[in-house]
Amino acid sequence: MEFEAVIGLEIHVELNCVTKMFCDCPNHPGDQPNANTCPTCLWLPGALPRLSQEALEKASLLSLGLGAELQPRSAFDQKIYYYPDLPKGFQLSQIHLPLSRGGGIDILDEDGVTRKLRIHHIHMEEDVAKLVHEMEGRLPVGLVDFNRAGAPLVEIVTEPDFRTPYQAMEFLKTLRTRVRYVGSSDCNMDDGTMRADANISIRPRGTDQMNTKVEVKNMNSVRHVGDAISYEIARQTAAVQADEAVILHTRLWDPDKKATLPMRAKFEGPCVPDPCVPAIELSPAWIEQMRTRLPEMPTERGERLTAQHGLTREEALSLSADPEVAAYFDALVARGIAPRTAMHWLTTQLIPAVRERRQDLNTSPVAPERLAALLDLLAKDEINANAAREVLVEMFGCDEAPEAIVARRGFKQISDADALDPLIDKVLTEQARAVADFQSGQVKALGFLVGRVMQASGGKADPKVIRELLDEKLGAG
Amino acid sequence: MKPALQQDMTVAVPSNISMRGRPAEAGSNALTGYTAVEDATVVRRLREAGAHLRSSACVGEFGFGLPVGGAAAVAPRPSAGGAEAVDGAELLMDFMGESRLAAAHASIYGLKPSYGLVSRFGLIGLIPSMECCGILSGSLNTIGEVLMTVAGQDGLDFSLPEEDAPDFSPREIRPEEITIGIITEAQSMAAGAERSPATGDSRGAPTPRGAEGFRASMEELRRLGFTLREVSLPGYELFSLVHRVVGSVEASSAAGRYDSVRYGPRAPGAKNWNEMYLMSRGAAFGTLIKSYLIQGAFFQFERYEAFIDACRIRARLVEDMRRLESEVDFFVLPMDDGPAQEVRSGAGVPPSLAGLYESHASTLYANVTGQPALYLPPVPGSAPTGFQLTGPRLSDGRLLDLGRFISESWGGE
Repeated sequence: MEFEAVIGLEIHVELNCVTKMFCDCPNHPGDQPNANTCPTCLWLPGALPRLSQEALEKASLLSLGLGAELQPRSAFDQKIYYYPDLPKGFQLSQIHLPLSRGGGIDILDEDGVTRKLRIHHIHMEEDVAKLVHEMEGRLPVGLVDFNRAGAPLVEIVTEPDFRTPYQAMEFLKTLRTRVRYVGSSDCNMDDGTMRADANISIRPRGTDQMNTKVEVKNMNSVRHVGDAISYEIARQTAAVQADEAVILHTRLWDPDKKATLPMRAKFEGPCVPDPCVPAIELSPAWIEQMRTRLPEMPTERGERLTAQHGLTREEALSLSADPEVAAYFDALVARGIAPRTAMHWLTTQLIPAVRERRQDLNTSPVAPERLAALLDLLAKDEINANAAREVLVEMFGCDEAPEAIVARRGFKQISDADALDPLIDKVLTEQARAVADFQSGQVKALGFLVGRVMQASGGKADPKVIRELLDEKLGAG
Repeated sequence: MKPALQQDMTVAVPSNISMRGRPAEAGSNALTGYTAVEDATVVRRLREAGAHLRSSACVGEFGFGLPVGGAAAVAPRPSAGGAEAVDGAELLMDFMGESRLAAAHASIYGLKPSYGLVSRFGLIGLIPSMECCGILSGSLNTIGEVLMTVAGQDGLDFSLPEEDAPDFSPREIRPEEITIGIITEAQSMAAGAERSPATGDSRGAPTPRGAEGFRASMEELRRLGFTLREVSLPGYELFSLVHRVVGSVEASSAAGRYDSVRYGPRAPGAKNWNEMYLMSRGAAFGTLIKSYLIQGAFFQFERYEAFIDACRIRARLVEDMRRLESEVDFFVLPMDDGPAQEVRSGAGVPPSLAGLYESHASTLYANVTGQPALYLPPVPGSAPTGFQLTGPRLSDGRLLDLGRFISESWGGE
């Protein structure tokens, strides 16, 4: 019998808010342990939660960016379970009335077909504290760091629309791009600002039954999600074929063993409405205002780049995957740089140079207006491409205008025929053999002669002009 | 502009209302050694207005319910009625009518403000959607001044409504323009108390105190020229059930933070930290609170649907009260102050939830609906108990005007 997998994802995204979700403490979990705490996030007697407007806005933008519909009324519930990382005994989460419902992401599947993978709902919730287990001498101690307690999270719960690990990985990549676009989170799986759990079951292909699912956690890269799902499908298939029952439980992905391993059953507590956080009422006007704050999203941007600038689909997608790169590209084009030149210099020169220097495109000293000025010199044939690359390197180390660097370094291209004539005559005299070769039909010899003239000019001559002059002289000769 | 408090007014603040740097043990072993790190908003505002703040003890764990009858008859009374309360004021956490009941025991005035009128920031509570800071005093003017001082948004309690605090400026009461509603079902409940010994204890022939006080109050209101109209609230007897289910569920969650680990005594001898948490919580709470929390956990874990039903009934009761508010301006309700004044032969019986709910049966409604409620003591010698006045949510200022008019007509302030 052939089986197919039914997969749903639950994705936690940590919002990049300035403060925590219910108090004014800085949202910096990585600081000195317990530095960012107050009576509210420590849940001391008498403290009351106050929902952060920024968290609500960032979660709303994220929802809209994923095509989900913001609900006019949502509310927080208490997800009741007890653990030392949650000493108040419940987590504030939106279980009954989530912030938004619906939405989804179109992915280009392995077979080249575009498929929509649907989102069931998106809700906000608070993170819990972090537990640290240490030894004090021979005594094991458990330490609790509340810096993360109350950090703003959203959880994106998908429909069980996924059938393959590839779909799950594509979904996560696209989701990450879109969330970065709206600016709500960095969505890095390696530092935990995005965490994905997968619910996986299998069934005979062609049926629509829903069988017992297994939840898999602890994947800290998109690749691990794919690997864990592949492993789990194989494991469940083998189990079913051996007539063993699949039991509802949670497994952890072990990236070293490349296997999922069962973890202790998790206690699922009840959920009751929270009486302290007022219900969230969103007016149509507020939702509309959020919508106007949405930037152009990657898919739409890619389509525009293809249509407006004649880029290929692949080129457009690679530019639009990162909002910073796409914005940089737009800024170059807005300054009159030809789209293809802009794309070429951005992807092959600037981005590698920025990465090499461990800088950010946004904050690098080579701002779009400076690169545009450089590319403008190139377009006007005032410098050649080699010189432009050298100027670019210098631009990282100073704030001089490209023109000034060109002048200082003497990179200005010689395009003046009168200036080049004597150099060309000299080369033609010295390289009589190459001239003869060319005249006997060896076209390659022309390139050699161009190179010699270039060398004689100290790299400053305009190769186009040299070629024209050589053509003229040799044709005439 | 808020008028200042009277010079040198003394206000007693129990230990379940936070005063920065003061032990805030709230009468619970779970909070032993816990010192408040912030002032409650009510405390900060009173302090800023120049009040002398004095500490008062919590009666019972978390100040939840007033012990009445049984063992409670030998338990200390709330300090309400002491010299401070007569001249000054006393704050009291009000979960189920404590401030009205304490006022009745001391024959002074007691106000439970509207939910959302006074910030709950810094209150060490149990039932977030029902609790508030009650005010007791021998003077309605004092209650008014304290309320004006503490009411209004503080940016720390987001459950306060966006609108401004109600107008507290005194306005004239013209009895001929005012209709006061009598809720048929509340009346018959008070009358019912005459007939059946509800607790089944050795009460003998129950004193029909509440009913008698109520009859006297209605006569008095008629005499003053108010129009009385009987209205029906068929679900009235459900207030107790709703309070008990919703209240215990909220308490079961809210008490989670009183973990007796970060403060309070940790239980010794645990093998690991999970066990330490569980044992500490088990040891921290007293019998009454523990049975309340377990009852709440039962609804959370086992009877969620019943809890949701209780929430629906609560919403319907609020709606029904709103509907009646379009027919009348205020309501008068009986005040059954329980057998506290009489020493019972059952002394020594531990307080029970059933007993607690029974003794607060006539006051629960206002905590369920969030309305303001005011206890007015009787003219001395005229009736065994006083009565309650209530009105629409946030009508606290008008309610105090009405109370003042009535008490002045009796030769009060």
